Amino acid sequence: MIRHPLAWCVWGIAGLCAAFIDRNPLLQVLLVLVVINVGLPHRRNPAMRHWKIGLALAVVPILFSAALSRFGRHVIFTLPGIPIVGGAWSWEAVAYGASTGVALLLTVAVFATLQANVRSADLVALLPRSLYRTGTVFALSLAFAPKTIASFQALLEARRLRGQRAGWRSAPGLVVPLLLTMLEQALQYGESLDARGYGSRRRSHYRPLGWSLFDGFVIGASLTSLILDLVLSPQPYNPYLDLAPSLPSAASLLSILLLATPALRGTPRMDHATNRA
Amino acid sequence: MPLIALEGVRYRYPEADGPALDGITTAVEPGQVILLRGPSGSGKSTLLRCLNGLVPHSTGGDFAGRVTVCGLDTRVHLPRELGARIGFVFQHPDAQFVLEDVEAELAFGLENLGLDRGVMRKRIEETIDQVGINALRHRRIATLSGGERQRVAIAAALAMHPAALVLDEPTSQLDPQAAEDVLQVVLRLVADLGMTTVIAEHRVERIAPFVDRIWTIDAGRLQDQAPREAVAKGGARPPVVDLALRAGWSPIPLGLRDARVRAQSLAAAIPDNPPADGAGTVIARLDRLGYSYPSARAVEDVSLTLRRGQVTALMGRNGSGKTTLLRLIGGTLRPQRGRLHSEGRVAYVPQDADALLFAATVRDELRGQPEDVIAPFQAWLPRYPRDLSAGERQQLAIAVVAGQADLLLLDEPTRGLDPVVKKALTSFLRLRAASGAAMLIATHDVEWAARTANRVLLMADGEVYADGPPRTVLSDSLVFATQINKLLGRGWLLPEEVPI
Repeated sequence: MIRHPLAWCVWGIAGLCAAFIDRNPLLQVLLVLVVINVGLPHRRNPAMRHWKIGLALAVVPILFSAALSRFGRHVIFTLPGIPIVGGAWSWEAVAYGASTGVALLLTVAVFATLQANVRSADLVALLPRSLYRTGTVFALSLAFAPKTIASFQALLEARRLRGQRAGWRSAPGLVVPLLLTMLEQALQYGESLDARGYGSRRRSHYRPLGWSLFDGFVIGASLTSLILDLVLSPQPYNPYLDLAPSLPSAASLLSILLLATPALRGTPRMDHATNRA
Repeated sequence: MPLIALEGVRYRYPEADGPALDGITTAVEPGQVILLRGPSGSGKSTLLRCLNGLVPHSTGGDFAGRVTVCGLDTRVHLPRELGARIGFVFQHPDAQFVLEDVEAELAFGLENLGLDRGVMRKRIEETIDQVGINALRHRRIATLSGGERQRVAIAAALAMHPAALVLDEPTSQLDPQAAEDVLQVVLRLVADLGMTTVIAEHRVERIAPFVDRIWTIDAGRLQDQAPREAVAKGGARPPVVDLALRAGWSPIPLGLRDARVRAQSLAAAIPDNPPADGAGTVIARLDRLGYSYPSARAVEDVSLTLRRGQVTALMGRNGSGKTTLLRLIGGTLRPQRGRLHSEGRVAYVPQDADALLFAATVRDELRGQPEDVIAPFQAWLPRYPRDLSAGERQQLAIAVVAGQADLLLLDEPTRGLDPVVKKALTSFLRLRAASGAAMLIATHDVEWAARTANRVLLMADGEVYADGPPRTVLSDSLVFATQINKLLGRGWLLPEEVPI
């Protein structure tokens, strides 16, 4: 079992790099399977519900690319001369959008796995006092992903209550109130950190973070994966040139497979806080 | 030497026209308990935030004068340096929680002080015992009820061993029992530790007997008075004080204990039966309505009718299903079981009114509303809605959503409202009821419900277990009785109706 949050963080960074660098569909599918495997033991954790958001996000670039791109030889169908979406819809455009969509899905999935396994307390505790401002921003960002979703839902509901449009088309009208709500919450949260002495002196640790041999193993595997990704030239995928992806190299496959290391001992973090109010 | 001293404090928010605090000079001696009261938007929160330096360090603006805490000048020392001396409990505990579970949250402030692990452990254990949250120590904060969260917030501040505790309306979101629990914790700290406490609180009846001074703030100006002198002059005060003033009792009792002796002299009359209720036509009918969340059932087997002309108060402890029931009737949730039929326009105003306000000015928010809805807001029309106080925003949200509805569903509409605004809200709702609208209002405010509603529903565990006129439902209840009912019994609810 991974004990130290730093091990999860290194795994997360390596996972995100792989998600954005490796655009070969075969590698992407493999990476999705790896992340599913790592996340599977934590599937009951509420954070893992963010996968659904990742799936929704993944569809957006596919639709945009398919509807707006008029390139590609493998035509799916042709729409008559409708402005913007009229013309030939191609498999190349779908594949290009899917490549971006899977990268987005993987980003959300990696963050969901991190959120399920790493307590923000431990991450804040990792930061030295000299990074007080960074720590504040970091703590804010950790707390704000779920709060932003809740605020967005509250604003959508509020529009509905006022008899206004509440679908996706109303999203631009929600941007300013959402930003204001988030800003207000961020200020309150920052004030709370200040009022409780955050950054006033060198922090001590109530629950010292422990290391296990497996933590070192995960960090080593993740760093190797990261180096392989960064050092080896990525295998680009351009469906407009060739719809069929090339076979990935052994090193690329290895860099992805190394990210499966946490799944070797995937017992979820002990959680004694399951009682409901 | 005073623990807290304010000398000529004057403060104006950035871009505000007038000062939020206007020449405040006062002091708090060690061990004193101060009750801070004042109308919505009068500057209560601003004053409290001066005490730990959040004003002006976090807010900016023009600050003049001097605030010293334990001899430290807040202009020189940052809020994080004052954190160990002033424990601050925010109005919304969720805004102050940094971590996920209770014990880590308690340790957070201590870690910031750089204390040894052994010292931290000792302080946490002591604080847990003082605040009575041992059963919660391993819980995730997200799973706690409102009252539990507030107690954890107090414990987190207390664990730092501050010289003074500052609480900004700590019970505003709590049901009567949870509010009682939280205030009991505060009063126990005062009694056991001699903790200097400054508390802004609208439910003054619970705390008034225990305070040394009352600070009354209005338009940024502060009056520092002895409790009896302050309550005699008006503002938020316990109902027994209203009764005492009518009866001419002297000295004025501040709590039930003092009032009981004098109350024996009051005539043993029994109030008249309330007028027959429910003469209007049915506007909504609920038939065995049910709804469950994945983790728990929220509403179970609720059958009732709502009629035009009724103002119905929906009461119950936090988490009893009140909000879910309102959302089901308001159409933001779909019933999983049972049937619901409603007529006319239904409007639901949620607890968090801020989400309802999007526009750049109050004028824009009210665009398209009839003149009588706009009239009360004339003074605010050019203002940015989110710059209004919590109580003012609540009023505006009710106006923009519920202005012309036939069935108004209001969730905690009196949260953060001062007595004058509450009275205005009562008048507004009664006027709407008289014109044929129906109201269903989830509230924890027993005194306001007794004054405003002509029907009360009590909920627990998703079920409605009591339904009737306020005099029947709110009488002789341990939790939901008004202060006058606790004093006199016999069906009396409000000070103004008791024959003297």
